[in-house]
Formats: sequence, C-alpha cells, structure tokens
Amino acid sequence: MDYILHVLILALIYSIFAVSLNLELGYAGLYNFGHVAFFGIGAYISALLSRAGMPVEGAMLCAMAGAGIAGGLLAVPALRVTEDYFGIATLVFAEMFRLVCLNERWLTKGPMGLPGIPRPAWIARGVDGLPVYLILTALAAAGVFLFVRRLTGSPFGRALRVIREDEHIAQAFGKNVLLLKIKTIVTGSALAGLAGTLWAHYISYISPADFTLTETILVVLCVVLGGRGTHWGPVLGAFAVIFFGEAVRFLPIPHELHRYVAPLQGMVYGGILVLIVLKMPSGMIAEHRRNGA
Amino acid sequence: MSYYLQLLLNGVIAGSVYALFAVGLTLVYGVFRFINFSHGELITWGAYLTLMFYTPPFSWPLFLSAIPAMALTAVIGFSQDFFIYRPLRRGNPITLLIASIGLSYMLRNAVRFIWGSDLRTFDFPPARGMEFGGYYVTGIQLLMLAAAVFFLAILYLGLTRTLWGKSLRATADNLELAAIMGISMPRVSASVWILASVFAAAGGILLALDTNLEPVMGATNLIKAFAAVLLGGAGNVWGALLGGLFIGIAENLGVAFFSPGYKDLVAFALIFLLLLFRPRGLFGLLTGVR
Repeated sequence: MDYILHVLILALIYSIFAVSLNLELGYAGLYNFGHVAFFGIGAYISALLSRAGMPVEGAMLCAMAGAGIAGGLLAVPALRVTEDYFGIATLVFAEMFRLVCLNERWLTKGPMGLPGIPRPAWIARGVDGLPVYLILTALAAAGVFLFVRRLTGSPFGRALRVIREDEHIAQAFGKNVLLLKIKTIVTGSALAGLAGTLWAHYISYISPADFTLTETILVVLCVVLGGRGTHWGPVLGAFAVIFFGEAVRFLPIPHELHRYVAPLQGMVYGGILVLIVLKMPSGMIAEHRRNGA
Repeated sequence: MSYYLQLLLNGVIAGSVYALFAVGLTLVYGVFRFINFSHGELITWGAYLTLMFYTPPFSWPLFLSAIPAMALTAVIGFSQDFFIYRPLRRGNPITLLIASIGLSYMLRNAVRFIWGSDLRTFDFPPARGMEFGGYYVTGIQLLMLAAAVFFLAILYLGLTRTLWGKSLRATADNLELAAIMGISMPRVSASVWILASVFAAAGGILLALDTNLEPVMGATNLIKAFAAVLLGGAGNVWGALLGGLFIGIAENLGVAFFSPGYKDLVAFALIFLLLLFRPRGLFGLLTGVR
C-alpha cells in the first residue's frame, strides 16, 4: 500500500514536471532540452534554504521564484537563436548547472549531495507522512494542471500556438514574440522548480547525479508519448513512464543479469522516443486542431 | 612561461581531436540543416568497437582493430540516417531533434548494455613522456596529432581537389540547386554520414587511447563539438577545424587559472557567449565549405 502511494507521488511530481515542459515544448514549440536544470534548481534552492532553517513552505516558494528567475536569465540569451540552437543552449545550460553543483562543494557538498531535507512540519516523517504528502502533491498537480489549462486557453496561449506554427504571422499580428517566449519559459521553469522542490522534500536527499540528461530524456518522453500540446497528454505520459519504470522492478530477473536492466530500460526509453516520432508523432492523445478557427 | 607553452601544446593536441568531432557535426548541419544530437554516440561506438577487436577473442593489433571499428561506426551513422532521419526529413524539422536525442540515449545505453558502465582502457603500459627541448609529449599524443593531421589533410584534399568534394560542397551550399544540377543526393547523403562517422570514430579512438573509455564520453565531447561548430559558424568545415583547436587550447590554458573540475565549463561558457554575441560564429567571415 505504501509502495502504491510512493509511485503515485512520483507520478504526480513527474506530471507537474511534464506539464511545465509541455507549456514550452508543446504549446510554444520551444525545444527545451535542459528542463531538468530548473527541476534541479528548485530542488537545490529549497533543500539549501530548508536545511538552513527556513520553514519548508517558504523554501518551496523561494525555489519556484528562483527557478523562474533562472529561466528568465537563460531565456534572454538563448532566445536570440532559434530551434536547433535553442536546444543546444538549453542542453548546455543543464550541464553547466550540474557541473557547478558538482564543484561548488562549500554550497552543495559536490557529488556527496545534500541529505536530510526536511518535509513540511505538519507532515510526518517516513511512511506515516505518505498519505498527507500525496494529498499535497495531488493538490499541487491539480493546481498546475488547471493553471496551465487556463493559461493555454487564454489569448496568451493562442498566441503561443501561432508562434509555434509561424513566428512571422504572430509578428504580423503585432505580438511581441520574444516577450511571449520569455514569459513562457519563466512560467515553465517556475513550475519545473515546483516539481523539483516537491521531489527534493519527498526523497529527502539530492545530488548532482539526479539531474542528468537521463531525467531530461524521461520528461521529454512523458510529453511526446502523452501528446504534445494537449492538456492530459503529459499527465498520461508521466503516469505511463513512471509506472513502466516501477513495473520493471517486479520482473523476475536473476541476480547475475541485474546489470543489464538499467541500460535496457534506457534503450527502451530512447527507442520509444524515436518510434513515436516516426510512427505516432502526435502521441497517445492527439492535439485537437480546429479548422478555420 | 614554459608551463603555459606546455599547456598550449596539450591544448593543440586535444583541439585536433575536437576538430575531428566537429567536422562531421558541421557537415551534417551544412547539408541537412539539423544538429545531430546523436553524433556523440558515434565517438563512443568507434572507441568501444576498437576495444572489442583489440581485446580477446579477436586480439588484433590496434591499427587493424581501428579499421573494422570505423567501418562499423560508418554503418551505424548511415543506418541512423536511412531508417530514422530520412523518413522524418520531409516533416517538421524539429521532430528530427527529438528523434536524434532519443537515438543518442538509446545508443549510449546499448554501449552500457554490451560493455558495462565501468571505465575501460586499452591497458597500455604507462609510457614516459618524450622530452623535446623541455616540453613533454607522450607517444600517444604524437599519434593523436599525426592521425588528426592525416585525416584532416585527406578531408582537405578530398573536398577541394575531387569531383566528389565539389558535389558535397555544392550540396552544402544549396541542396535544391545541387539536386537540380544532377548531383546524386543519395550518394551525397551517404558520403556525409560515412565521413561524419569515420571522423567521429577516429577521434573517439584517439581520445580513448589517451584517456579511457566510458559510455558518456560521446555526450561530454559532443558539447565540445557543439562549441567548435558554433565558433566556426554552423556548416563551415574550416571554421569547425579552427573552432576545435580553439576550444582545446582555451580549455587547457584555463586549467592554469581555475580548478580543473571546471575544465568542461570553458566550452559551455563559450557556447553561451557566442550565442549571446556572435550567433553566426566567430569565423563566420571565412569562406568555407558553405
């Protein structure tokens, strides 16, 4: 039972993470391959602040704000270039973040990581706190979901979709494309920061090894598998990916073959990503496109 | 002073290998207009395949092992284009990025699957560096430099002196126009992928001889190659060469000024500064293969 709660919490956190990436990748067509950096920035900020004695709720808010600001700081230079180059810039940004976490030992303890990240005072430690933490995560996920749905249904969201299809048309309609993109990245990063902080306070230990390209691939897979530019797609994708990852643990695999499991799982994730793009580009849920609207 | 010159020397050697990585990446961009995120995996596969032929059950000599390894890497490079990128080329160009990043993850995990995640080496006995007027160079470093110069010289002659090179350059300049002029596109695309794979594999082998093999070696060096390509202006082969050298030198000189843990940050920071100030590359003015 506790295990099911654990998987649900993970899936909900990844849903928030995927929804935040979907805002950028699905709606605005911004190919952010470094989204994990904002997840990590959120996790590190709230871990450091709460370990220094700040109430966890305050640390979480600071983490969201910090991730959002970091997103803005990345967006301004990275948005000078388009498409492929934006992908490179964000990928490199995530690697830079990881490198800084590894090397600034005085702050992050380097590869040792930060242990003992507290939960909010009103949530019990250990497994007793799981149901309450699940409710907290579910409320956060529902809030993020409704917020993004509202946002993408607004004129702002429609402008983003126009930018995705053709920037010049958006410009011709008098939209400030750069500003809209910056707003999108700041929002997406702050929400990724929220996912990161929920994750850090749940797992209670973080290290630079948690924020690698693997996590980037996972979250991109959640979005692409579920369906880019849809409300439920990333949530569905996150649940599918997390449940698949956890189900693998129950396969009766002989001990001597254990070393093959993780690489094989990685091959499957990468392979699915390629296959979806080739055979099912819209994912499990296709984006509803109104003709003539 | 001699300390800095020694670092400079190390930088030139490292940079010549980065140049090998960058050439293929920039050629693919020049012809197909997309950044191949799985280029780094060709580096890894080249190195690991050489290790496979070098160790039992094959136990071939090193030079003999490198040849089938490069050929097999070329097969991988060509197949990724044939089975994945070519069908996607007509669609939204951005789906290519997702495909290539997924493919890179798959290939990297395949390396871990087959050869494990641990560090591997070619197990050469540690050689004493040779001294040239106060500067130290190991035999492997000399080999790296010689091999890099050899490959790049072949590339230069091939691109400038042969009809094949001319058709490649024409395609990089304008794909549609080249096709209209009767240049065979399947041949050009095969050449580009084979060239990119062989150069990446050669660089990967040299790097593995000097350091070691690990599944993430390609991903780490891909970022150096990105930086080199951006420095030279994407699609510009000569620019990528200079860019690779520049990154190697900057990294190694950087060690004199800050912690070696940040060596990789040099390439990262360069990418950012370039995107910020010179998105078209520092050497964009040079007329290259574009």
